[in-house]
Amino acid sequence: MDAITVQNLTKRFSDLVAVDNVSFTVRSGEVFGYLGPNGAGKTTTIRILTGITAPTGGSARIFGLDIVSDTIRARRQMGIVYETSNVYDDLTAWQNIMFAGELYNVGKQERERRGKELLEVFGLWERRKDRVHGYSKGMKRRLTLAMGLINDPKLLFLDEPTSGLDVQSNLIIRDVLHDLTNRGVTVFLTTHNIEEANVTCDRVAIINKGRIAAIDSPERLKKTIQSVQSIEVAFEKGIAKVLADLPGLPAANEIRKEGDKVRIYTDDPATLLEEIMEYARVHQNRVVSATTRGPTLEDVFIHLTGLSTQVKGGDKDGR
Amino acid sequence: MVDNPGGSQVSAEVNAAWAIAKKDMFIYYIKPNIIVSGLLFPLFMFLAFASGKNVPLGTLIPGLISVTLLFSSSTIEPVSIPIERRTKTFERLISAPVSLHAIVFGESLSGFMYSIGIALAPLLVGIFAFGTGIPHPLYLIAGMLLTALCFSTMGTLFAAYPTESPGDIMSMLNLVRLPLIFVSGTFIALETMPPVGKAISYLSPLTYGNDLIQAAYGHPAYFSPFLDIVMLLLFFFIFQFIAHRLYTKFNE
Repeated sequence: MDAITVQNLTKRFSDLVAVDNVSFTVRSGEVFGYLGPNGAGKTTTIRILTGITAPTGGSARIFGLDIVSDTIRARRQMGIVYETSNVYDDLTAWQNIMFAGELYNVGKQERERRGKELLEVFGLWERRKDRVHGYSKGMKRRLTLAMGLINDPKLLFLDEPTSGLDVQSNLIIRDVLHDLTNRGVTVFLTTHNIEEANVTCDRVAIINKGRIAAIDSPERLKKTIQSVQSIEVAFEKGIAKVLADLPGLPAANEIRKEGDKVRIYTDDPATLLEEIMEYARVHQNRVVSATTRGPTLEDVFIHLTGLSTQVKGGDKDGR
Repeated sequence: MVDNPGGSQVSAEVNAAWAIAKKDMFIYYIKPNIIVSGLLFPLFMFLAFASGKNVPLGTLIPGLISVTLLFSSSTIEPVSIPIERRTKTFERLISAPVSLHAIVFGESLSGFMYSIGIALAPLLVGIFAFGTGIPHPLYLIAGMLLTALCFSTMGTLFAAYPTESPGDIMSMLNLVRLPLIFVSGTFIALETMPPVGKAISYLSPLTYGNDLIQAAYGHPAYFSPFLDIVMLLLFFFIFQFIAHRLYTKFNE
């Protein structure tokens, strides 16, 4: 049975159509990424799938249970981890996780056993008696995720799980996600971090203006825009001046700064490479490295959503 | 998936409501704005009324208990729910596998228990400081429990208004609570009110709660205790129903 089945889902707020006739399925045991720019309809979709908001039209089923008519049974199958770490600052970590267990009607013994196990996994057991008020952002995030897992859900909704976290928290959360997927837990993940989706998700849906623009595995999505090619170049004297000069190269379509490197999009990598080497020779700014790249999931995202950050051209509709 | 195998949905709802009430007790009972609004405000109201009256202070105890119940029971949720909206912990409640009725009841339960605890103060002061007798203790128990339940649910109802600021809800709530003191026979007897005042008093749950508490102290009652109990239960169910509808509407 599919974990999530969404058919013709629509949500209107007066004249605004937040979710517009969306259909997709999430298979059991799959990690499904839901990507989209701000205001695309991601949060509204999650609110419908978790039974907080009723859809204006269409239907959504969680393991075959209609989320509108069978809300409570459907919710028992799921854990929800919101983007905001919604923990109670005035309670201790232990009180927080016990409260989550009570809300999900997890029996006392099981609640305490799992609470201990989860706090240990997330590195919070030693601090369990401390009020959450004094926790770092990463610790609160880990506690939020632990609370979302107290009922050992078959389906986990994760909203921006690693956004803005420290390295330790990121690693712990990724390890836990890996473990969950190994155990066959279905994960519905929304994220702005496209690289995270690329390495974590079996399939991704890209939503834009309330509509699904594409659904497929990251690799297959990349193949749909195989024509997008680029060269990533690092220069010995840095890229400050380069950023102003390179858009003048005839074979360059678009320039993007990426850390201490520039990424130059082109239809003709061979010609572009020659132009770059000539530029470096004339300006006595040696090329330290140059790598040709195929399309990334971010390219797919930009291509499908019409977002663009290019230096050259100023065409908001992208490439 | 972990579940309580022996537990029915009813026990799940009760457990969740109790968990919500306990959580509120830990977090909100000692917040300064709760103490001011729930404890100090009714006390000062009482002193203001008592100072202008030439009657033994002990006779004002039932009215003080009623006003204390009104303010203390309806104070927790208008503070806790907007704060939880702001911190997004309210999302945790409304996405849990329990009905909105359980959430509304759980929130009201914390106000209810807080209120009973606070109202014991004037009750004990009456007994030990003024020697006030209680000839009908069962009326007192029923009056205190039902009045607290009614107004804690009213507090939850007002807190449905989708704001993140407790002040917004307190302002609206005080527009209702303050007039209730004057039209419910707490410090001004119903018999002395003009017909319009009496008609309005019938619409106030405090009228019936106060009447039952006055009867418990052996003071003349305006209605029968049975009618007082029925009316308080009726108001409780109306508030619970409206609160459920409003939370459903404002979560859209």
